[in-house]
Amino acid sequence: MKIFRHLTTTLVTFCAMVAASVFAFAVAVTFVVSAFSDVEISAWNVVTSQIARWFLFWVGIYVIHNVLPIAVAHGRTRREFLVAASGFSVVLALAMAVLAWLGFLAEGGIYALMHWHADEHGTPVAYFLMFLVWCVVGMFCAAAFDRFGAAGVFSVPVGLASVIITTVRIPGSGNLPFIRNIPSLLGAGWHVASVAAFLVVLAGTWAVVRDMPVRVRTS
Amino acid sequence: MRVDVQGLTVRYGSVTAVDDMSFSLSGKKIYGLLGRNGSGKTSLMSVLAGYRKPAGSVELDGAPVFENAAAMRQVCLVRHTPDAADKGDKVSYVLEYGAAWRETWDHGYALELAELFRIPLKAKAGELSLGQRSALGVVIGLASRSPLTMFDESHLGMDTPTRYAFYDALLNDFMAHPRTIIVSTHLIEELASLLEEVVIIDAGRLVLQEEADVLRSRGTEVTGNAADVDEFTAGLTVLSEKSLGRTKAAMVYGTLDDARLIRARQLGLELGPIALQDLFVHLTAPVGGAR
Repeated sequence: MKIFRHLTTTLVTFCAMVAASVFAFAVAVTFVVSAFSDVEISAWNVVTSQIARWFLFWVGIYVIHNVLPIAVAHGRTRREFLVAASGFSVVLALAMAVLAWLGFLAEGGIYALMHWHADEHGTPVAYFLMFLVWCVVGMFCAAAFDRFGAAGVFSVPVGLASVIITTVRIPGSGNLPFIRNIPSLLGAGWHVASVAAFLVVLAGTWAVVRDMPVRVRTS
Repeated sequence: MRVDVQGLTVRYGSVTAVDDMSFSLSGKKIYGLLGRNGSGKTSLMSVLAGYRKPAGSVELDGAPVFENAAAMRQVCLVRHTPDAADKGDKVSYVLEYGAAWRETWDHGYALELAELFRIPLKAKAGELSLGQRSALGVVIGLASRSPLTMFDESHLGMDTPTRYAFYDALLNDFMAHPRTIIVSTHLIEELASLLEEVVIIDAGRLVLQEEADVLRSRGTEVTGNAADVDEFTAGLTVLSEKSLGRTKAAMVYGTLDDARLIRARQLGLELGPIALQDLFVHLTAPVGGAR
């Protein structure tokens, strides 16, 4: 519980502060752009659909690469840490999805006042699942590279396949190459696929970390 | 805390760092873990701290340590770079980690030690000098008050006054809170007076485990007339010899029996103790030569 409390109080707070700063920056940029041309897209949607997922990916890496060894050095087991980190990833993704939704509400008000146009954005559930899977993929890849060195590259295709699934239902996150009609075919079923991807990658993270050496040479 | 190691092997690819090692430590002593570079000290302590899964058995008070929450809580390993610190974290934050995560942590003592070692609390761990980083590790190790605390070359980069402050703090805290402390060091003579028991390893194998005083009694420095010293040391294991004019001093290894002691008196030879460090050099393989 101590690890979970530590991760949530420090990292969720930090992430919220970053999100608030980026929102203020995005609004400022939008006002600057409006001086030169019409505003026709949501700046906050660019942030949430493109940038935020990479930020969550970095948080996942940080949790395994930086915090796990400290936890073990302080006498905590990998199992305790993984339980806490798994719960943390859900709480963080939820918090970031709520922040994304609040951002869209605030941005919607500003756009309405300024008579600007915003493009379509995803549902809170879609953002939640995207943030969740990207965070866990960061954990998985960090664990694979920390444990297996260069051979950790084999975790990348698994991670890539998992994160692509989550972006299908997020407008503005980029279209899938060659299979552009699949999102409409599967519909909300993509959310189920995202949950499955989360579970698979989380299980992979547990398998890699469970008896991973820390703070020592591995080969 | 009792430590039992049975058939422990640690391999890195084709390199065997610890080779089928077995020993037991009864606990509540300051142990010296001595070995040459690459002898397997760090690998051994990493396994004792649960940093890696052992091939063999490693038990603390009869319980396996790896991924055993109750056992892992009792251990703290400190190396010259603090394992329990992230380079980007401020020192004050690093110490708060200890307070938050360790039940046995004494935060007041941690702050006291930080002041003693002049570690700036607002500086980031990565910005500290090597000596300060080592001192931060020592602060974490001592303030953790872990029943098994291990210091692996924790003095690296420390200046002499800081090292002496470390030794004083270590001894004082051990007297106030007896626990099992393992210290790995190459500065053997500096720490020799603190060590109650010595474990010497070489090439991943246990060479010797002995009470420090018993080990010291195994070596003798013989000083006197060169010819008399040569006669006396004939048939003994001579570790080294020094001559100045007609006077010679020889270090011999092994217990001297009564007949030898009487003969030394007859020859007018002076017998004295030799340093733990010299015994260590003898017991481990010398650089580029045979043992």
